[in-house]
Amino acid sequence: MKIVIIGGGIAGTYLANGIKKNIPDTDVQILSDEAYMPYDRIHLCRLVNDSEMIEDISLTLESSVKINLNQKVTKIDPKAKKVITQSSAFDYDKLIIATGSVPKTLFDTSGIKNAATFRSADDTQKIKEGIKGKEAVIVGAGPIALELLDTLNLMSTIQKITLLVRSRSLYDKTLSPQSINIIESTYLKSGKVRISYEDEIIDKTIHNDEITQIITKKLKIENPFLIFGIGIQPNIDFARDSLECNRGVLTNPKMQTSDTDIYAVGEAAEIKETGFIAGHVKECTLQAEVAIANILGIEERVFKQEISIDMLKVGEFDLVDVKAPAFCQKYEKILMTSDQDQRVDEYYICDDKLTRFVGINSNIDIGYLEKLMKEKEPIDASYLYQNRLHSERGRLICSCEHVYQKDLEEMVKENAISNFQELAAFTQAGRVCGRCKKMVEDVIEASQVLIDPNKPKKSATDIQREKELALVKKRIEKFNRLHPQNQLDSENLSSAMDAFEIGTKELNSWLAMVTATMQLHPEFASLIKEGVSMLNRIPIIWLELADCSGNSEAFIKSAHPAIEDLIFEYISLDYHELLMSAAGEQSESALEHTIRTQKGNYILIVEGAVPLGMEGKFLRIGTKGETGISLLRKCAKDAAMVISVGSCAFDGGVVAAAPNPTGAVGAAEALGQKDIINLPGCPVNPINIVGTLLSYLMFDELPSLDQYNRPLWAYEGRIHDNCERRGHYELGEFVKAWGDEGAKKGWCLFEMGCKGPYANANCPTMKFNLNTSWPVQAGHGCMGCVEKGFFDKLANERKIREEKL
Amino acid sequence: MKKIVIDPITRIEGHLRAEIEIDENNIVQEAYISGQLFRGIETILKNRDPRDAGLLAGRICGVCTNSHFRAAITAVEDAYALELPKNAQIIRDLISLALFLQDHVVHFYHLHLLDYVDVTDALEADPKQTSKLGHQFSERPYANSHAHYISVKEKLQKFVKAGKLGLFANGYWGHKAYKLSPEENLLLLSHYLEALKFQTNISQAIAIFGGKTPHPQTIVVGGITSVADMLNPQRLNDFIFIMKEAKAFIDRAYLPDMKLLVRGYKEEIKQGLGKGAGNFLSVGGYQFDKNHRLFEPGVIFGGDFTAIHPFDARQITENVERAWYDGDDICYTDLNPDGTLKTAGNRDKYSWIKAPRYAQKSMECGPLARILVSYYQGNELIKPFVDSFLKETDLTMEDLHTTIGRNAARAIETAYIAEYLFRFINTLVENIKYYDTATWKQYQFDTLPGESGGKAFLEVPRGVLSHFVEIKNQKIDKYQVIAPTTWNASPKDSSGQRGAYEEALIGLTLQDSQKPLEVLRVLHAFDPCIACAVHVIDAKGKEVGKFKIEQNCLL
Ligand SMILES: Cc1cc2nc3c(=O)[nH]c(=O)nc-3n(C[C@H](O)[C@H](O)[C@H](O)COP(=O)(O)OP(=O)(O)OC[C@H]3O[C@@H](n4cnc5c(N)ncnc54)[C@H](O)[C@@H]3O)c2cc1C
Ligand code: SF4
Ligand code: SF4
Repeated sequence: MKIVIIGGGIAGTYLANGIKKNIPDTDVQILSDEAYMPYDRIHLCRLVNDSEMIEDISLTLESSVKINLNQKVTKIDPKAKKVITQSSAFDYDKLIIATGSVPKTLFDTSGIKNAATFRSADDTQKIKEGIKGKEAVIVGAGPIALELLDTLNLMSTIQKITLLVRSRSLYDKTLSPQSINIIESTYLKSGKVRISYEDEIIDKTIHNDEITQIITKKLKIENPFLIFGIGIQPNIDFARDSLECNRGVLTNPKMQTSDTDIYAVGEAAEIKETGFIAGHVKECTLQAEVAIANILGIEERVFKQEISIDMLKVGEFDLVDVKAPAFCQKYEKILMTSDQDQRVDEYYICDDKLTRFVGINSNIDIGYLEKLMKEKEPIDASYLYQNRLHSERGRLICSCEHVYQKDLEEMVKENAISNFQELAAFTQAGRVCGRCKKMVEDVIEASQVLIDPNKPKKSATDIQREKELALVKKRIEKFNRLHPQNQLDSENLSSAMDAFEIGTKELNSWLAMVTATMQLHPEFASLIKEGVSMLNRIPIIWLELADCSGNSEAFIKSAHPAIEDLIFEYISLDYHELLMSAAGEQSESALEHTIRTQKGNYILIVEGAVPLGMEGKFLRIGTKGETGISLLRKCAKDAAMVISVGSCAFDGGVVAAAPNPTGAVGAAEALGQKDIINLPGCPVNPINIVGTLLSYLMFDELPSLDQYNRPLWAYEGRIHDNCERRGHYELGEFVKAWGDEGAKKGWCLFEMGCKGPYANANCPTMKFNLNTSWPVQAGHGCMGCVEKGFFDKLANERKIREEKL
Repeated sequence: MKKIVIDPITRIEGHLRAEIEIDENNIVQEAYISGQLFRGIETILKNRDPRDAGLLAGRICGVCTNSHFRAAITAVEDAYALELPKNAQIIRDLISLALFLQDHVVHFYHLHLLDYVDVTDALEADPKQTSKLGHQFSERPYANSHAHYISVKEKLQKFVKAGKLGLFANGYWGHKAYKLSPEENLLLLSHYLEALKFQTNISQAIAIFGGKTPHPQTIVVGGITSVADMLNPQRLNDFIFIMKEAKAFIDRAYLPDMKLLVRGYKEEIKQGLGKGAGNFLSVGGYQFDKNHRLFEPGVIFGGDFTAIHPFDARQITENVERAWYDGDDICYTDLNPDGTLKTAGNRDKYSWIKAPRYAQKSMECGPLARILVSYYQGNELIKPFVDSFLKETDLTMEDLHTTIGRNAARAIETAYIAEYLFRFINTLVENIKYYDTATWKQYQFDTLPGESGGKAFLEVPRGVLSHFVEIKNQKIDKYQVIAPTTWNASPKDSSGQRGAYEEALIGLTLQDSQKPLEVLRVLHAFDPCIACAVHVIDAKGKEVGKFKIEQNCLL
């Protein structure tokens, strides 16, 4: 799939990385109109005061993402699936618009040397170079203007700054005079700054592409450097002809535009239902995640607006702004102020509910406020009053991740984190917008004394595993709720174990064996045990098509210490012809029932080939004489996962061997589905079925598969490489005739046509029937029954070379 | 007349359908048995190297696993007139006989028992009484403690309480035809669980010489490959040990359970439910020393046990009038639009299973046939097993010719095999002791006749299995299989003669036509295996793969 992303900003970069992480070999291209590799624009101030270079604020981009710089997109051609830039054109299968916003200005500033906006690295360059020796005039008083003001205020090269404010307020029109006072006073302290309220530019003089003078309602400023901070608007003009747009490119909650192959995310997108347009990093990345999930078909996800937490940490004051999606302009306010602490708490209330909070130097527990907003609880003013002074979690450090000082300290202490790098395994704090990175580092450093030096330090992989274990546990718990008709408790498993006289030791060794087979860390054994006890919560339909029942037999007959038997009895095979007690219409209704009530939850196991010849009528099942293929389709449609067991379900097996009289194929081919897990073998080793079920249950995802969709953990190793007779192969000790001296001594069977060198499976290590034997041990050699078309290519007792002669 | 369709018939191998017609008194007047899957394995075997026939034909069935593998290779050996070394023969027999034990036990407990045992009723059982009951049928009943029954009962209770019984769901629980007491139900169910363990263990024994099961992989044209296992005393000991345990289960659980079942359903036996035409076929076999074999060949006609006719392979013919073939070709005439079988006309075709006939008669094969033929042929070894069972259960030979009798015959045969299997092992050990370690008959494939024909007749768990091969230019030219279930589940033939299943169903009374439990009992008692049964007649070199559905092929 070819994915093209327009815009290499925060949303675009996040998207590209996310896609690569999910499906590494996807072709992903970014088209950016900037001249730089993606960078984080929220740190632009650091470029203005030269404290950092653009490399320092660069965003990480997966190296296999192709990025085309200086490519300004001018047009999209959805019919031809092409994006056109000023110099070339690009094909796409899926297109994502992530072009962010353009800052508004009062007049066209292009070509004018001393007027700028503040959005891009180029802007900072212009500001930096042009501002020397001039009076800085910032138009606007929103968060970005204030941030820039703070930066310029601290720069020694700048002597005079004027802030032109059309209203009477700073930061936000809704702020109380008390708050505005505190903010204002911190800026005015340096003596460089003047703030002119209720003022705006009414005239200007331009000479040689330079503004020599501006006249405002109240002031006349000579030799200014003008910077506009008066708002932004989605940057989407190139898309207006081809897509449905309003202010931004209109999308549904899946971030899909009016063209199903085109998505829009970040500040360029407007959600049609709600009119919402992102304005923060967090929202942009969330939208990117939603788009990834939908584009790659991982899951259906929709974007939901969340509570936003904004912070302005400017020199001497902290401003926290917590806003619920429900915030509206018709609010009442509760104000708590303390002149002494220079503190203001502003509670915005609509219909008895808290919808926004702005605090200046406030210490209130943001977590509690968030909860109030999220759960829409009625506001409790006295509680807020009593708790105004302390927050249990301390000061808010990272507004993106909602991490407080105490949380961080606890994390550092518990996990013996010694620096910012190590923290990454636990939280993204300081990494999302990166604004608070410095503060996070400070907390880590200050908390080092809390660490118990005797506590063993966990490695990054320990930590990673712990996280994984926790996730798996959660998933397993989820199955508690799944199969309402089959709520046997886990005690049932233990009493069943008793009935089978399966001891703890036996069970534990089985668990260890499965854990090792599935190539998991030994710590997973206990979860596997839990998983096993939960297996009966997954509804399973086991369909036998053109088969010999060999795999069903294998499952019930040749198990490891009865445990797999037991699982087989215990898991809820809702439908299995060989074993179920119902017959005819009763059994059919069991099938229908499961399909209907367990939509999207049940697992379909297919055994046997699917005859497609003669309209599929070589196989008919049920009182209505349904054909095998039609029954398979019916069952597969709503299955959570389809597993093909045995060689016949894999590729038709023996039934499809030449001349394939019934036109048989495997389940994947019959269904035209690429996401079917194949467990070939004639028959399959039952342990591989149990392992696959467990891995579904534990990880909710397909295990890593090879090119034939066989799970790597079972089908990665070559028989020949793990064979107990391999030593003899190396020594040239071969069986030359059945029953000869070499055969009696257990020599290599290569000369007798062993196909171990051409087959991949775990037979040599897992063996069959309670580890009793396997074809090589029994002196015959492997016949490659896990490979494609093995009956026509491998199932004989001659060397492959001879065959060809 | 009312028609009942049962499909799928569960707890059997393969895709089997039964359609029965009942009158106003719910008495079965006519029955149609149909195999619903066609794979064409014989067609696939054509043009292959004869040495590869075994691995491929083995896949005819994963339940009668090994039987087809062995039969195919035996047929090829017959074509090349290769004589097997003794030990190879014994190893093959050991694998086969172990499979008899496994198959029969699995059949009784896991595939058939629930037709006679009501799971829900077992919950009413008194564990103490159950334990007492156990002593009525065996001196040393298997896992018979009071505490054991309490725990089994608890386990069942949980299953039932959950309202959803997984595989036990949707049975005919509470059906009037269930006759056992709660204690009897509980006792049998407790062995249901034990039997799971039994079959796991015994499959280990099979794997010792077979490499794995299902689908063992150690038989080759001219012998067997597991010579290293044969020569390893540890492996041999393991085999013996497992067999001893298996014998204990069979003697102390399976056989007593069968006696219990007979007592509980005596009435059905005495009514003769499930009686067929009385034509029985056995090819005998399993020789373990010069003068002794387990089963005798012979044929019985019309229920006349006193006259055993010699078996003569030339008497076998095949009839395809009512099967979806036309001579050598496929001729699928489809189902009716509502999905039922086309049976209205006397010549309508309705099954993928052919109708083999012996001397023009429809035959029954399997444990009952083997017991009857061997007994009346005067096999001294089997006699005491049959006699003592009949005596203890107060049955006659005639009574075995019923649905429950078929099960009884199977249990008797199992105990019989479990006893004599050790004689095979003894012979093997003796041979090895005297340095006879040959397991393969040497031959040069290139020097073998390029053109030849061979056949194999084997007794396998479900009855008589025969494979026929014709070789031309060192390749398979024709291949043909008649499996036990081909005999038993055959459709009618041109003379209107019913197959064995069909015949056994006639006259049966159903308590509840919505829940045809009685039909399942009759069919399950034969242990159907449909993947085995369906075989195409050699297509004589005509192009295959492009079959059309024709309304009327030739008729
Ligand atoms: C100074 C500053 C401080 C900020 N501080 C914060 C903060 O503290 N916290 C917070 O949450 N948010 C903050 N923001 C807002 C945040 O940066 C934006 O919400 C975010 O960058 C939006 O991401 P985006 O990917 O939608 O757009 P952008 O990051 O703007 O990326 C859009 C990209 O697309 C490119 N592009 C546009 N048109 C085309 C075209 N036709 N062809 C090719 N390329 C094109 C642009 O050049 C740009 O590179 C700040 C923003 C600024 C400017
Ligand atoms: S793959 Fe082998 S064991 Fe499985 S159904 Fe096919 S023939 Fe039988
Ligand atoms: S026996 Fe087969 S798998 Fe083993 S070493 Fe020899 S060729 Fe390889």
